[in-house]
Amino acid sequence: MKKRFLLVVALVLVAAMLVGCASKPSSVLDKIQKDKKVLVGTSADYPPYEYVDDAGNKTGFDIDLMTEIAKRMGVELVWVDMPFDSLVAAVSSGKLDMSISCFNYDTERDKIVDFSEAYYTTEDAFVVSNTFTGTIAKPEDAANYKVGVQSGTVQDGWLTDNLVTPGLLKEANLSRYERVDQAALDLANGRIEVLMADYVPVQALVAQNPNLKVVYHGELSTGPINIVLPDGDAPLKAEINRIIKELQAEGFIDKLAVKYFSN
Amino acid sequence: MDFGQFVSYIASGTVFTVGVTLIALPSGLLVGSILALLYVYGGKTAARVMKVYSTIFRGIPPIVLLFILFFAVSKGINLSAFWAGSLSLGMVSSAYQMEIVRGSLLSVSGDQLMAARAVGLSRLQAIRYVVLPQAVRLAIPPWSNEAAIIIKDSSLVYALGVPEILRRAQLIGASSQRYLLAYLSAAIIYFLLVFATTRLLELLENKLTIPSNP
Amino acid sequence: MPKPILTIKNLTKTYGKNVIFQNLDLTVNEGNTIVIIGPSGTGKSTLLRCINLLTRPNSGQIWLDDLEITAKGTDEDQVRQHIGMVFQNFLLFNHLTALGNVKLGLTKVKHMSEEAATQKAMHELSRVGLADRANHYPGQLSGGQQQRVGIARALAMDPRVMLFDEPTSALDPELIGEVLEVMRQLALEGMTMLVVTHEMGFAREVADRIVFMEKGYIVEEGSPDEMFNHPKFDRTREFLWKITELYGKKEKEAK
Repeated sequence: MKKRFLLVVALVLVAAMLVGCASKPSSVLDKIQKDKKVLVGTSADYPPYEYVDDAGNKTGFDIDLMTEIAKRMGVELVWVDMPFDSLVAAVSSGKLDMSISCFNYDTERDKIVDFSEAYYTTEDAFVVSNTFTGTIAKPEDAANYKVGVQSGTVQDGWLTDNLVTPGLLKEANLSRYERVDQAALDLANGRIEVLMADYVPVQALVAQNPNLKVVYHGELSTGPINIVLPDGDAPLKAEINRIIKELQAEGFIDKLAVKYFSN
Repeated sequence: MDFGQFVSYIASGTVFTVGVTLIALPSGLLVGSILALLYVYGGKTAARVMKVYSTIFRGIPPIVLLFILFFAVSKGINLSAFWAGSLSLGMVSSAYQMEIVRGSLLSVSGDQLMAARAVGLSRLQAIRYVVLPQAVRLAIPPWSNEAAIIIKDSSLVYALGVPEILRRAQLIGASSQRYLLAYLSAAIIYFLLVFATTRLLELLENKLTIPSNP
Repeated sequence: MPKPILTIKNLTKTYGKNVIFQNLDLTVNEGNTIVIIGPSGTGKSTLLRCINLLTRPNSGQIWLDDLEITAKGTDEDQVRQHIGMVFQNFLLFNHLTALGNVKLGLTKVKHMSEEAATQKAMHELSRVGLADRANHYPGQLSGGQQQRVGIARALAMDPRVMLFDEPTSALDPELIGEVLEVMRQLALEGMTMLVVTHEMGFAREVADRIVFMEKGYIVEEGSPDEMFNHPKFDRTREFLWKITELYGKKEKEAK
């Protein structure tokens, strides 16, 4: 009897899911334009991409970008904060129209949702002063020097996970700064030997400081990041991709990178 | 951001924590009590059905039920995260509260029911005026335990993005990089909520204690 | 001619293969006190529970006055308010005061007003000498006091007949007297009573008739004088001798 009851419960659940799939609207884009608002999920615990400021308001690279995308779609933007792990499921089940939260492409996630084109590629750079005599041929070589990084960034995460935790880099040799420009100052002073940071703001930094140079750059911490969209919704995907390209062409996204990844 | 702002940002999530608790706990009590009465006084078939209910809902982790309700079932009904969380916690709690009420009903001796019937009370009257008032008193300590569990389990709705205490601690911890302080603040707020609740129920228990000579 | 209040005919009760009693006949006349005696496990308590329908007999009939209460469709709750029951373990409602215990049936079954119920309950408590304990909870009363509240609770419903199921068996010897005294008083006032007890002093002094039950049968019944002084059967004589030996001492201590 118990088995039969469990079977019934399972069937009800499956039926509910099937009904949900069958009743998928033609395109979420239609719904967004009809309601004049877009429901976007983010996990606002990932500075500098998305986080809350002192007043508790959402801010960050992704937040500013999405605000601009919504503006260009001519609709109101409604944020839904949700832990990162729940965002894909929420888009897949139609609870959200899309999610932006520093998502990398992932074949598992691709099975239940779609990805927009990459709106940004996080390339990481190692910066040294001109007087630096060592070599950084591959990223792990940084472990041989005194390294600086902006605290709590994806670069901080990469250094911690790949160099500090395996024991390659001593914790004492990793200095965490509140801002990248503070780190750059210490780099110039010789207090640290290598600075790891996002490549976009680094290029601006090097342009301003002739004493600094980039010795290595590549996709280490994050790589290309995309917006997560409902599965198989071609019209919405086309619209989002169009706006992303527009923003890239205008240099809007690079400006955001400088704003959020360097200070 | 000063310390006061920091803590008050986290503490403002208490509204949701209390909200979820105030929906899950009483609804679980209502459903649990009705089911417990059916379990104890409803005959063999009812008892068997209730046993299955209890086994199923006590066997599912609340967070799994939460996801089922939010992502799978509520596609058609469009349940908000807050309600999906409150209801799934209420469902799981109803099974536990059914066991609490059942236990306390059973610990009021069957002789009490018989004595009431001998006076001429109907079965329903006997349960209502003689068994239940005694059972309620017996149920308070285990129920206080369940209330504490629900208050703490309400933190599970963070997984759906309800900005309760835990989620706010995460957010402010991330933006300020003061994770320890954030989670410590959350822990203290949870502790105070649980402490106040159990203390209140303790007072109620003392107030309801039937006087007797040692 | 005496009027029967309780008439039992051909009553049989079995639990599975266990026959508790079989084809039992018994009549209780108005104002009489009948004492049932007999060894443990002979179905005396079960008989009392059958009479107020707390247990259903398998066959046979019971009349309360002219109403056959074993008939199909009888309103049991209606019947029970006319039959008072006093239990061996008192079975007071633990969460109610003495007054509350006596009042419950008055307000919930007889639907009396609070005021009238309180007045009536206080009267019954006075009858058992416990008016000053009205606001005490069972846990604050001695066993003897609890049993007297139990009697008051049953009396409050103005029953046609009172059933006593070993009312003093759970009491310390020094507390038995006060309960027996209340019962003796009730008998004097003309209450119809059916009492299962081992208190031979009470039986000898108060009973109009004594019924000796053994192994599910009524072996012998008669007046106290007949039963104690000229029993017809050896079994009766044997049982009475044993019980007087066992309980007689206790009874003397109590007095």
